[in-house]
Amino acid sequence: MADDKDVLRDVWFGRIPTCFTLNPDEVTEREAEPYYLLLPRVSYLTLVTDKVKKHFLKVMKAEDVEEMWFEYEGTPLKWHYPIGVLFDFHASNTVLPWNITVHFKNFPDRDLLHCPSTSVVEAHFMSSIKEADALKHKSQVVNDMQKKDHKQLWMGLQNDKFDQFWAINRKLMEYSTEEGGFRYIPFRIYQTMSDRPFFQKLFRPVSPEGNTHTLGDLLNEVFPAAVPNEGVATANLPF
Amino acid sequence: MAAVTVTNGHTMTDSAGAAQRSGRVLAEGGSGGSAETWKRHIVRQLKNRDLSQHAMFQDLIRFYTQLLEKSNLAKGILSSSVRRPPADSSGLMSSLQLKKTTGELAYQVVELQQQIKIKECVLEEQHARLMEEECRLTGAFYARQEVREQVEQVKKKNGALKLEYDTLLEKQRVAETRLREAEDKGGHLLEDMIHLKQQAADRMNNLNERRSRARAMKLQKDLLSTARSKVTMDSSSSAPGSRSASPKNKVGEETTERRRTRLFRAQDPVIRLKVVKVYQGFLHFLRSASATSPRILTSIKELFDRKRRGRSVCSLEEDLMGPVGICLAARVPVRALQVLEAHEQGINAVRFSCSSDLLATGGTDRVIKLWEVRAGSMTHRTTLDGSTEGITCVEFDPTGSRVLAASYDKSALLWLLDDPVPKLTLTGHSRKVTAARFSSSFHRVVTGSADRTIRLWDLHRAACVQVAEVGSYCSDLVCSENCIISGHYDSKIRMWDTRTMNCLQEFPAQGKVTSLDISAEHRQLLSCCRDDCLQLVDLRRWSNERMCFRADGFKCGSDSTKAVISPDGCFLAAGSADGAVYIWNVSTGNLETRLPDKHSSSINAVSWSLSGEYVVSVDKSKWAILWSDI
Repeated sequence: MADDKDVLRDVWFGRIPTCFTLNPDEVTEREAEPYYLLLPRVSYLTLVTDKVKKHFLKVMKAEDVEEMWFEYEGTPLKWHYPIGVLFDFHASNTVLPWNITVHFKNFPDRDLLHCPSTSVVEAHFMSSIKEADALKHKSQVVNDMQKKDHKQLWMGLQNDKFDQFWAINRKLMEYSTEEGGFRYIPFRIYQTMSDRPFFQKLFRPVSPEGNTHTLGDLLNEVFPAAVPNEGVATANLPF
Repeated sequence: MAAVTVTNGHTMTDSAGAAQRSGRVLAEGGSGGSAETWKRHIVRQLKNRDLSQHAMFQDLIRFYTQLLEKSNLAKGILSSSVRRPPADSSGLMSSLQLKKTTGELAYQVVELQQQIKIKECVLEEQHARLMEEECRLTGAFYARQEVREQVEQVKKKNGALKLEYDTLLEKQRVAETRLREAEDKGGHLLEDMIHLKQQAADRMNNLNERRSRARAMKLQKDLLSTARSKVTMDSSSSAPGSRSASPKNKVGEETTERRRTRLFRAQDPVIRLKVVKVYQGFLHFLRSASATSPRILTSIKELFDRKRRGRSVCSLEEDLMGPVGICLAARVPVRALQVLEAHEQGINAVRFSCSSDLLATGGTDRVIKLWEVRAGSMTHRTTLDGSTEGITCVEFDPTGSRVLAASYDKSALLWLLDDPVPKLTLTGHSRKVTAARFSSSFHRVVTGSADRTIRLWDLHRAACVQVAEVGSYCSDLVCSENCIISGHYDSKIRMWDTRTMNCLQEFPAQGKVTSLDISAEHRQLLSCCRDDCLQLVDLRRWSNERMCFRADGFKCGSDSTKAVISPDGCFLAAGSADGAVYIWNVSTGNLETRLPDKHSSSINAVSWSLSGEYVVSVDKSKWAILWSDI
């Protein structure tokens, strides 16, 4: 992983220009200006939208405010998906910036999870980490970590600190060379047109013949429909 | 969790997706060298993605946000001021005017804001200064409080001092009055004393006169008796003479007869001289008349000579060593034979003569009394006076014919036994004489004094021969062959050579030395100290071997308490402050006996008779007690 540092940095510092506009149905005291923001790809919506909330609350009466949620072209955006996934999934073909509508009313309970505080986000994030490590190392690495390491990992993400995050995450991504990699590759494939939100399958990094697998091999095996350029698929590889 | 996203869209607009794909294609090629290439591809595509998505919008969004914030601020201020005019003008103002005013107002706002900022700065500065001043003020306040407290304290102290001063002043006044009274009293006392002295002098003069008269009388009586005996002798011895020879004798007889009758008639002292002349004339006549009877002549001569010699400073017999009795066994006394009030005041010294039947006591009442001790009783024989102050020490010479005493009047005095007037007064000490002893050479005496000197006197010349400066109060001394041993208040016992008066030796005692005594054979030295301990030292060996004698209840009563060794050297006797006589056995070192209850005050001195039979103790309140074992 060491020589992948520039790749990791580029991935980490990926930003999406976004324009937040208030839903016109909201009752306001005066006209609400749109709010522009560069959203980090590797983060969650509710973690980075404090400024947005503050901006719109200025023009609203306190009694009209309920839990904030986001919507893009009629689709509620799930905050528990990483922002990059959300963008590629819903809006990869639109003209930038990405237009997101902000709502303070009529929370779509059927489509979205409630997010009252950042601790909920933290719980979700940690569970994802543990799931991925269960696939990679039978949970050995994550269980050997101390509580403060977990905390550091989370704080690195929350405060957008690349070095702080990777100091811990490096351990999660390590594997001994004689084993030839992880036990399984942790991944999810999200689909727009399906009833199932995503696919997941056990997939070893090395073929029985000894060849290392590529992303193409993965897609061929798990989701052959994506290979011949048909339909839209998004693969989320959580490593 | 790194989310690498691959997008396969129909339109292929996403360059990142393309990069992923090409990377994958390269990876499928599978060669080792190409691993680096596909990684570079990925990086390039990620850079492209960032360029299109990130870099393009970065500045835009930043500026937008800044503008938004500024406009929000302006709006917040404007909203309050702008809302009113529409109400007043009721919308009649044209939009142009409104804009103008808005612009002006905005300008004003900016200006005002700047001013506010400046003011705020000033305000802050002033606040800071204010705080500083307040700090200083509180500091000053505290300082003032402190100073006030100090002032308060000083005032209090001053008050206390004033009070003290007042009380002291009062005391001083009282003391002054007392001083005046005391001075008055002192004056009175002085007058009284002068009066008393005069009286004493008168009495002394009277006494002297009476004495001289008595002497004259005695002389006369002697003369008469000799004259008479002369006659008888003459008659008796002349009987054979008359038988053998001349008729002249008869004439002589007749004349003596006549003279006698005359003598009888000449009883009156006024004509005493005439009598003497007659007597001498008679002698002359005898001498010329009867050359044949020299015995009578010599006998008469002897009679006169002896009389004359008795008054001379020195006589032949003094150079003879008298026989010294040796005691074989001292007997420890058990009961008091006699208790008598010997002096008018405290008795300081007591001493037996070597003949054991004569005792001398010396007291604060300035006299020495001689007592005869016979058959268990003391009888007063004579009183020796002449000292003008109290007696501190008394001693007989080895022949028992002379008495030596030391006195408070800075002198030592020497008496012959039967003459109450001192034969010699040795003056020269500058303070009281504490001890006076006969030296081993017969015509010399040694005195020790409070003036820190020891003096050696020659009796022939009646002068001081040698002086030793000691450096400490000499409380007592004893003489041995060719040496003097003295005890001092600096807790030292010193030994001196009589010839050179050099200090031969010096050895420590436990406290102020009050008295010394030396045993009959000059072997052992006894010292008594203020630490209530008697020490016995063997003089032949000046070693540290010394015996200590103590007893429960024995307490040295004064700085001159005198302890003695018994004549046989077997016992020690000393009187205690509690009025009891303590006697120790030298051989066992234990207390032999204690003789209590007779004295009512502190015992000053004890003496043991040379026969070993009697012990006499004297105390501070004029009592003397004779002890014996009978």
